[in-house]
Amino acid sequence: MTTKVTINRLATGVPGLDEVLGGGLPEFSFNLIAGPPGCGKTTLAHQMMFALATPERPALYFTVLGEPPLKMLRYQQQFDFFDSESINRSIRFINLSDDTLAGDLDQVLGRIVANVEEHSPALVFVDSFRSVMLASSSEGNPSYNLQQFVQQLGMLMTSWQATTFLIGEYFTETDANPVFTVADGLIWLRQSVQRNSMVRKMEIMKMRGQPTLPGLHTFRISTAGIEVFAPARVAVAAPAEAMTGALDSRLLMGLPLLDEMLGGGLPRGYSVLVAGPSGSGKSILAAAFLAEGARCGETGVVAVFEQHPNRSRNRAIADLIGSGRVGLVDTRAPDLSIDEIVLLLMNEIRRLNASRVVIDSLSGFELALAPTFREDFRESLLRLVTALAGAGVTVLMTSELEDRYTDLRFSPYGTAFLTDAIIVQRYIEVDSRLLRVMAVVKVRASAHSDELRLFSIDGDGIHIGAMLPDQEGLLGGRPTRKSASDLRSSAIGADDG
Amino acid sequence: MESLESRRIAAPLAHRVGKDANAAQIADAIVATWQEIEAALTPIIGQRAVVALYRRSLHLTGSIHPWMAGTHEGVQTDMDLAALKSVFRQQSSANAAGGGSALFQTFYELLASLIGPSLTERLLRSVWATSSSGPSAQDNTT
Repeated sequence: MTTKVTINRLATGVPGLDEVLGGGLPEFSFNLIAGPPGCGKTTLAHQMMFALATPERPALYFTVLGEPPLKMLRYQQQFDFFDSESINRSIRFINLSDDTLAGDLDQVLGRIVANVEEHSPALVFVDSFRSVMLASSSEGNPSYNLQQFVQQLGMLMTSWQATTFLIGEYFTETDANPVFTVADGLIWLRQSVQRNSMVRKMEIMKMRGQPTLPGLHTFRISTAGIEVFAPARVAVAAPAEAMTGALDSRLLMGLPLLDEMLGGGLPRGYSVLVAGPSGSGKSILAAAFLAEGARCGETGVVAVFEQHPNRSRNRAIADLIGSGRVGLVDTRAPDLSIDEIVLLLMNEIRRLNASRVVIDSLSGFELALAPTFREDFRESLLRLVTALAGAGVTVLMTSELEDRYTDLRFSPYGTAFLTDAIIVQRYIEVDSRLLRVMAVVKVRASAHSDELRLFSIDGDGIHIGAMLPDQEGLLGGRPTRKSASDLRSSAIGADDG
Repeated sequence: MESLESRRIAAPLAHRVGKDANAAQIADAIVATWQEIEAALTPIIGQRAVVALYRRSLHLTGSIHPWMAGTHEGVQTDMDLAALKSVFRQQSSANAAGGGSALFQTFYELLASLIGPSLTERLLRSVWATSSSGPSAQDNTT
């Protein structure tokens, strides 16, 4: 038992990458970083190198034929992680282009080995690999030569206790490339382009002995370098626990009558969807929800996905944000992924230890997502709701809903089932006036009111009023007086399905 | 001994060889310094890049020191420092010192324009910074 080898895992220094790798990078592993030009391979390699290299555990970076080193150094130094002082101390760049040009892989290997023996690096990078393959293909028997090269390199580096990276361009992933078999790890970078949007994605196609997170993970490159948006870890035990505890503990919405309609407030940890047509007062309800939290000493987070946040933002919310009791997630970054949004939300939730979250609105959220994710919007939403539920927060989401008086809908996405509670708002016409009604449609595992109540909005917010017991057909938008029972047949859509 | 001298001579050149150095001594010191520069940079950016930068520096410096004009044409796949030496030997010592300094400075600035002053300083530290005669002229003028 105790004689088994312990594989150390290196922290890569790339935010989110260790999680995706399943707990860091195995020491002495032999890895490929592959992908088309411009996808961030060299940046990823540099970022890991600058994070991992120390004078005691130095790194060797072999530049083969790809990008000229002058260019590479010119552009890589733009990143925050690039530290000129590390060079020639903990990091050594070695150019092998002349050896590669000669086309003799044995000579290239010999140079690498000589340098590795001289410097005893803990980390070795070879950039880039396709160049080696091209050079070798002029030798008649390319694949044999190449496989031999990679196999020997892998074996040598491992025995020299060096964690090694081959940076490669342009592999087609379907190719049964012998290199893939030799490698312990295979990190694939992609750029997914759809219409005008571009999303960077990373996949760990292989990492021996590691419980990697499967699938494509989005990442972004900024001046700080690469940031990978690992999917939020979902605590499996949390939901069941939350469910049982939730009904005992409820939180108030800031509108006493609405709390009554909900059966005594919203169960803690629930997600509630507030659906209604434009201008019906969803954001104001959301503001009341956050303000009530602040009043009770709780903190909140609001994510706005509106085009003009300053114009649409409620003053009450602005004050709460100003006072630091509500955190704001207001990203202007284009082409967002669900994981990035979840990460932004989670960071704010953790920072403020928030218990209330508002997403205003789902329609804006959908537009903020890169087109490539919109097709899976329901799935994205599910992941968002699951992640937030896992964090134990209570979530209020608003959803723009076209008023349709012929049927009763709660969300345009068929996502209503995802949420634990639903509040719906509608316009109705009574006596030549446009009035608003509100109803609680659903509160999972809890009794709630079935009343349709009038409400009005003024400078102080929402005021919930009485029912209209003498009217019927409210959901049809044009209610009729009950006494005029002979007119009943003209009511449109009185019984919604 | 030579190496020590070549480091002292790095820049500003006249300051380091002493006023009474003749053109031949200056040329030797210049060539030795270039050999150090080549040794420092070739492993990192490759021989071709070093030669290309050197050739460009000669070309640029030739417009200020006409006697150097045309030297760059002989530089193809390697630096051909022998040719540089013979050109410098034919000059007066003042010309050689001034031209040599200008060439180092042009090269330094050219590299700095590509990879930035701090990385340039880092890569050439072994050549330049060992000089104990104060900060190098290159740093003051860039």
